Amino acid sequence: MARITNGLATSHVPAIGVAMDLGKTDEPYWQPLFAGYDWTRQWLAQTKPDVIILVYNDHASAFDMKIIPTFAIGCGERFKPADEGWGPRPVPDVIGHPELAWHIAQSLILDEFDMTIINEMDVDHGLTVPLSACFGALPEWPAKVIPLAVNVVTYPPPTGNRCWALGEAIARAVASFPEDLNVQVWGTGGMSHQIQGPRAGLINREWDNRFLDGMVGDSDHLRRIPHIEYLRETGSEGIEMVMWLIMRGALGPATRALHRHYHVPASNTAVGHIILEPVT
Amino acid sequence: MMTDIHQYLAELDDIPGTRVYTAARARKGYHLNQFCMSLMKPENRARWKADEAAYLADWPLTDDQRAAVLARDYNRLLDLGGNIYFLAKVFSTDGLSFVQAVSTMTGMSVADYQAMMLAGGRSPQGVRSIREGN
Repeated sequence: MARITNGLATSHVPAIGVAMDLGKTDEPYWQPLFAGYDWTRQWLAQTKPDVIILVYNDHASAFDMKIIPTFAIGCGERFKPADEGWGPRPVPDVIGHPELAWHIAQSLILDEFDMTIINEMDVDHGLTVPLSACFGALPEWPAKVIPLAVNVVTYPPPTGNRCWALGEAIARAVASFPEDLNVQVWGTGGMSHQIQGPRAGLINREWDNRFLDGMVGDSDHLRRIPHIEYLRETGSEGIEMVMWLIMRGALGPATRALHRHYHVPASNTAVGHIILEPVT
Repeated sequence: MMTDIHQYLAELDDIPGTRVYTAARARKGYHLNQFCMSLMKPENRARWKADEAAYLADWPLTDDQRAAVLARDYNRLLDLGGNIYFLAKVFSTDGLSFVQAVSTMTGMSVADYQAMMLAGGRSPQGVRSIREGN
């Protein structure tokens, strides 16, 4: 049977991808940020996930204002890096796992999560930057990826509690897939950032670190954080952290942390990264 | 328990220096944001760069929206329904990074804004709530 072995969260700042694509990772500005992913790259090389369910948000790349799905799952064979206005990132195509993706989509709908199903789309920095940061620059990604896109741009995004419940439903769906697969769930986005208006540049190191603390253990209080708290405390784009709760919900009642990293700044953003395993 | 939508929306308007992209803003800015999205195509970027005003004439924008686009007045564009991820298509076409474009909304120079970020960013102290002043 397929099983969810680990969860991983990371920010997905576009500038991280640009720094890698332009070979700037050893520069003093970037070195401390990338140092936090060294452990991750070794760990991923050892744990070898077969499939990553990668929770992210599109930033006006595949989706414009015509259609705004709250939760969408990529069931296609492959997804190309999006041209976000300066040409596609020079990274490999993302190879999907249509059989597992469709199994999850069908199971979620019967479990009362009414997913949007996507067969064709390009994937932007929200999805490719986590792969680059965690795997490094590679000729092909070493795992299949099921994109799970969440609307966190047009209000209201889904509540944290709903994200958590979706994660639980994803775990049930994966557990009923007959093939023996090592599946990880990654939650991406965050941490503190605001990239609009006179309050832009807001960073709340204390709040972010409390959130990272909260990902470990039963994490139950995290599901009740209202949207307004993310916005006031961590900036308007800090709302992306609700996506981490899909990953956390998928891991079950309790977790322990294997690795943790926090760095300010990457461009306008606080970068947080944590790797979790379920405690049974 | 279901959240009251009116109370939810009122709270979103209580954050200093922030325009949350609500349904009201999304409706007001629909064509503005779709215009921005059109700049994802290289051939459209070329036409836009050749004659911005002529390019805008093809889009049903308000006079205020047109003027704010031409002036690259991003705070005004947020007020007129623009969303930052869509507006990013305009400043990316101009060759600006997020830091460069975002700093123009803060009243700080790019250098001062970058220095603030390197020093740990803007503190949330005093900018959490208009009503509470905290």
